[in-house]
Amino acid sequence: MVDVNKLREKAREVISREDVRELIGYRPGTYGFRARPAFVMGPDDTGELIFTPACVNNLASYIVLEEKLPVKRGEEPDLRKVAVMVKGCDSRALVQQMEEKAYDRDRILVLGIPCRGVVDMAKVQAKYPDVLEMGEIALEGDKFVLSFNGTKEEVPREELVADKCLRCRYPTPLVYDELLDEEVERFADDDFADVAELEKRAADDKWAYWEEKFSRCIRCYSCRNVCPMCYCEDCVLDRLQPQWMRRSVDISENTAYHISRAYHLAGRCIQCGECQRVCPVDIPLMELNRKFYKDVEDLYDYEPGTNVENPPLLSTFKVEDKEDFIM
Amino acid sequence: MKNPYIPYQVNIIDAWYEAPGDRCIKTFKVTFADEKVWDTWSHKPGNCAMVGIPGVGESMFCISSSPTEKGYLRFSIMKAGKNTSALHELEAGDSFFIRGPLGNNFPLDEWKGKNIVTIGGGIGQAPLRPVIQWIRDNRADYGELELIYGARTSQDHCFKTEFEEIGSSDDCECHLSIDVEEEEWPHFVGFVPSLLMEVAPKPDNAIAVTCGPPVMINFVLQNLEKLGFTPDQVYTTLENRMKCGIGKCGRCNVGHLYVCKDGPVFSYAQLKEIPEAFA
Amino acid sequence: MALKKLSKEKVGEALAELSKFRLIAPAKSDDVVVFKQISDPAEAYLEYGNSTVPPKKFAFPQTETLFRFVTGSPDLTAKNVEEEGTTVIFGLRPCDARAMAIVDKLFSWDFDDPYYLKRRELTTLVGMACVEPPSVNCFCTSLGGSPFGTEGLDLLLTDMGDYYLVEALTDKGEKLEETLSSQLEDAPADDEKKAKDMAAASEGKIRRSINTEGIPEKLPDLWENGLWKKVSAACLGCGICTFLCPTCHCFDIQDEVEESGEGRRCRMWDSCMFEEYTVHASGHNPRPTRKERTRNRINHKYSYYPAHFDVIACVGCGRCINLCPVNIDILEILDQVVDA
Repeated sequence: MVDVNKLREKAREVISREDVRELIGYRPGTYGFRARPAFVMGPDDTGELIFTPACVNNLASYIVLEEKLPVKRGEEPDLRKVAVMVKGCDSRALVQQMEEKAYDRDRILVLGIPCRGVVDMAKVQAKYPDVLEMGEIALEGDKFVLSFNGTKEEVPREELVADKCLRCRYPTPLVYDELLDEEVERFADDDFADVAELEKRAADDKWAYWEEKFSRCIRCYSCRNVCPMCYCEDCVLDRLQPQWMRRSVDISENTAYHISRAYHLAGRCIQCGECQRVCPVDIPLMELNRKFYKDVEDLYDYEPGTNVENPPLLSTFKVEDKEDFIM
Repeated sequence: MKNPYIPYQVNIIDAWYEAPGDRCIKTFKVTFADEKVWDTWSHKPGNCAMVGIPGVGESMFCISSSPTEKGYLRFSIMKAGKNTSALHELEAGDSFFIRGPLGNNFPLDEWKGKNIVTIGGGIGQAPLRPVIQWIRDNRADYGELELIYGARTSQDHCFKTEFEEIGSSDDCECHLSIDVEEEEWPHFVGFVPSLLMEVAPKPDNAIAVTCGPPVMINFVLQNLEKLGFTPDQVYTTLENRMKCGIGKCGRCNVGHLYVCKDGPVFSYAQLKEIPEAFA
Repeated sequence: MALKKLSKEKVGEALAELSKFRLIAPAKSDDVVVFKQISDPAEAYLEYGNSTVPPKKFAFPQTETLFRFVTGSPDLTAKNVEEEGTTVIFGLRPCDARAMAIVDKLFSWDFDDPYYLKRRELTTLVGMACVEPPSVNCFCTSLGGSPFGTEGLDLLLTDMGDYYLVEALTDKGEKLEETLSSQLEDAPADDEKKAKDMAAASEGKIRRSINTEGIPEKLPDLWENGLWKKVSAACLGCGICTFLCPTCHCFDIQDEVEESGEGRRCRMWDSCMFEEYTVHASGHNPRPTRKERTRNRINHKYSYYPAHFDVIACVGCGRCINLCPVNIDILEILDQVVDA
């Protein structure tokens, strides 16, 4: 577990650098066990920074979410680096963004945090719905220790941990300038058993399953906006001329939306699971993304977001690429 | 009560281009397909209408004719997005749909007895045209009328032939400008705010009305202040993206004011209190 | 009006009776509680906290046809809301009903919105008092509401254990009581007092609060304050806070045409937090970043709306706090407004 004082000290050092404009990390949330993104603009802002298993957000999204206003006449663009804290899973978003040449490597300064797992905040919320005052979560061995209202409770790790952490292949960030803690060896693997289950279902059954889910969608676009790989400047959803997708909310357009998004993420989704986490109506979006992930791995032996030198999968052709699925 | 979301069909009597280019401007002279609509229709200079084609969309435009011009309405529309591009395809004999009149109007009753100066730029002359027309048609009610107008080039000038006619009449002083020198251009060369300083209208018992691109308005307001106009003597119109036109859909607000319903006409005194007004 | 009771054994029967109308009730979709039209009383899930999505869509549908047309034809056919028939929303929370009463003001402001108002006229709201506040982030009492609040409701149910206490609040509510006359019985005499005590107890359990006094007047003065940049820094620009808000009512209007040429003009919920919301055809955007959009959202609720309608457009349901992916907390923002 990264020592909080060391973390703040490092952050202070980084944000004090002349070539660093901003540092994105985590700070405690406003109630209960929540943590939230922190935007540190100067050394005095570092005192609140934390890293705990409550730090669920993938901060890599903010690198591509930044709003660039036109530079005013007479002013120079601010080209200083943005420093960002990333867990192993989150770091893959940075790698994939850079594979796609979304920005230059030297624009960011990566503070890597080796991670043994974060909580599923929905599970925490369900178990402790009445905790309002700030609580803290720590991972000690195979238990989460939750401190709140002057008490401490231990909960087995598997009860509260996010599903993605149970199959985490990359607990230590794959790209970093500084590593804030000891490397964590791979402690799990992904056998895609859930995808295999889904694949076994009959077509009608699958349709009924997704129809129920997609009919709940309110098209708030939180899944798109939180996604570190959804950074098109001109999203196909927002286009009016031509309009590829209607804004009306019904099962047909909702399905079109989610299928389109899943396709746009094929070979790109890095499994951070943010889309599913933020969905207010609990649509299991990662089931779609994981199906594509597995297919891409089976077909091309390719894992997105693992090597900056890899060219993006779907924009490359290799003679030895499989063709047997082409009709 | 009439459903405010259902538009009236209008037939195009005549249509012509005012200015060429990527952002060309086309004027449509229209009348209601159902003549009975005229019995209940009543608009004032400044009022707007949602103009569109079912299947394409709707956008808000000022009605660029004065109610003193009987039997037709005019709209001058710049090609910018999906809806305006579709409208530009239409010719005399075709039809489109309008909802209105919407919004407020210039307080022309309050302005009776005063000298009026209009300061327009580019397509910004569209909301000023009905003001000028109204005053010319009620000439005895108002003092002096001065018209200041400019566009990038002489080609870009809207309402060219009307300016010629107005310029040769006794109704109105007409001052025209273009941004860059052209051969045989007999009028001012330079930006509208500079022309305003050149003409230097007197603020006594006067009202200034200005419409045009935001940059122009910004400098015109500064220059009017230099000329001694107080904020309550200065009027302008705002525009924002709109959908419902009746103060419900939310998007066109500047501060607590809805441009579609409380505007488009505002005095500078009002807008000075609203930090979002010129965003 | 004498109080009635509805025994829990007879709820199914009552719902069956009400299903001759368009009956809307909380129900489960997987583990998510949503309001939906039900035909089978067994679908109703009344032991819920609060629904994720407020029931506002049954007054103001997320997508609704304004009129139909055929391209090239001058005939436009307005949607006839009357056809939807009498609607009963059963078991909604007092905050969500109060939100409808607040939004009613906007839809009848200067121009009557015929679709919304007709639907409201056809709808009876049967509330379910919050014996326990559904969430730690409830703050209805700060906005003039209450877990047992009746504003906007036609009928209020209170869970008394093995029966619901039923209080008719309007003519519509009384009419509904008549419809249910075979299921309702007279309530025990001391229930009125009991319910009052329960209301006070529940109010006492509301844990979050804000003193709204002076906020509407103060907000415009904070336009350039640095707080907006700070509170919006983490914002993703998604529509959760607005779409899940029972008082948010902004909409887009778009035309949809099928290949046959048949089409409709419809409106759909829109969000001031979306970038496209205010962008001009020229590409200019008067609210270019999430800072301006966040500022507008808070100002609209806590300053512009009270300026027009004398009521804050927030009922303290806590949904925007509970479900914001990055824990942007409206009460924290308002605290900063107060302290600024």
